Amino acid sequence: MKSPLSRRRLLQGLGGAFGWLVAQPAARAAKQAVQKVFVSTLAPKDYDPTKHKWLMCIDVDRCIGCGSCVEACKTENRVPQASSYFRTWIERYIIKKPRRGTDELRGEVVVDSPNGGRDGSPPSLVPRDEILKAFFVPKLCNLCEHSPCTQACPVGATFDAPDGAVLIDPIYCIGCGFCIQACPYGCRFFNPETHTADKCSLCYHRITRGLKPACVEVCPTQARIFGDLKHPLPEHDPIQEFIHKNKVFTIKPHLGTDPRLLYANLDKEVR
Amino acid sequence: VKSPKLPPQIVRLVLLTFAIVGTYAVARVLLTPETFGEFGHYRGVALKELASRQPTYAGAKACTECHEDKVTRLAKGDHKTIACETCHGPGRKHADDPDEKPPKGGNSLCLRCHEANPARPAFLKQVTTKDHFEGRCAECHVAHQPKEVP
Repeated sequence: MKSPLSRRRLLQGLGGAFGWLVAQPAARAAKQAVQKVFVSTLAPKDYDPTKHKWLMCIDVDRCIGCGSCVEACKTENRVPQASSYFRTWIERYIIKKPRRGTDELRGEVVVDSPNGGRDGSPPSLVPRDEILKAFFVPKLCNLCEHSPCTQACPVGATFDAPDGAVLIDPIYCIGCGFCIQACPYGCRFFNPETHTADKCSLCYHRITRGLKPACVEVCPTQARIFGDLKHPLPEHDPIQEFIHKNKVFTIKPHLGTDPRLLYANLDKEVR
Repeated sequence: VKSPKLPPQIVRLVLLTFAIVGTYAVARVLLTPETFGEFGHYRGVALKELASRQPTYAGAKACTECHEDKVTRLAKGDHKTIACETCHGPGRKHADDPDEKPPKGGNSLCLRCHEANPARPAFLKQVTTKDHFEGRCAECHVAHQPKEVP
């Protein structure tokens, strides 16, 4: 009986395996060369994500609720124009005077965000003489050091980049929505055009080119300050100055997310 | 001496284990993207893909290249903290091709910030339009130099 594994077949098999082993590195090198041409030509070449750590500071007392940031963000990042999709938005907090005859410190808190603040701030429904105080709070991704959204993603599509931005890989995202529920700050939404989760990317295509994020660029009162923890400017670093001058808070500190979005002059009502 | 032979059910089990582990290993090698794990549990190249988009807002430097006179004048007035693109709109197209005019201007822009609102901080000058003036803002105010009179 002839053996099923003849010498000829064995040699053929071994030859094939050897050829495959030799061809693989070559194929990989070719693939990388092709990817370099197609993927990274438009990306800035001299940007190293491990050499930066970005953060943003917001001075609530300087925000005038004009909505320029919201509009700029939508334009820059092609966020759907409908009033339920925002990468950044402005909330208006109105704290009413306490009712007469009660021993309350402050009255009812009314929070609204008409069209995310994109068209500025229309007159509120609360009459002026009932208002104890009112202010605007810009919201965006809180740049968590321990981000719950990243932990919730089942496919590794959302991640903490080494430079501190929490990003979404749109090719890997399957649109399951776990991250949208996981974000305690409500900063994520489901983009109906790309069918993926979407969020503030800190204008990643801008900061890698040395530009400021669009919202920081257009803010007329410099309520938003953007900086790099690994490269503080030698003199008058705006971030250090901001932290030195102000009492700095984060939202929901008890969750242990350790946000890198810092707020100055934040009232306890903000959530 | 005859070497002890493994029972056939054990041989089958071992072969099956190898087949499963082997299939997993091959699938893992083939399906894992090139740059997965470069920085962490994600595709490293995704960073470059996200960075490859072109900005829409050109940034203050681009404006200064041609309009230095206006930028220096603006820096002397009360509107010094405002970037060009806050009022004039995204300017990259205009920066690439000066014939392409920047998109915005007009009253609504002034009122966006200066219409009176109880939530606005006190440092900002605010007016109630219907008590103040119903015409064009530019009749009495210079946008680049708010303290000057035209």
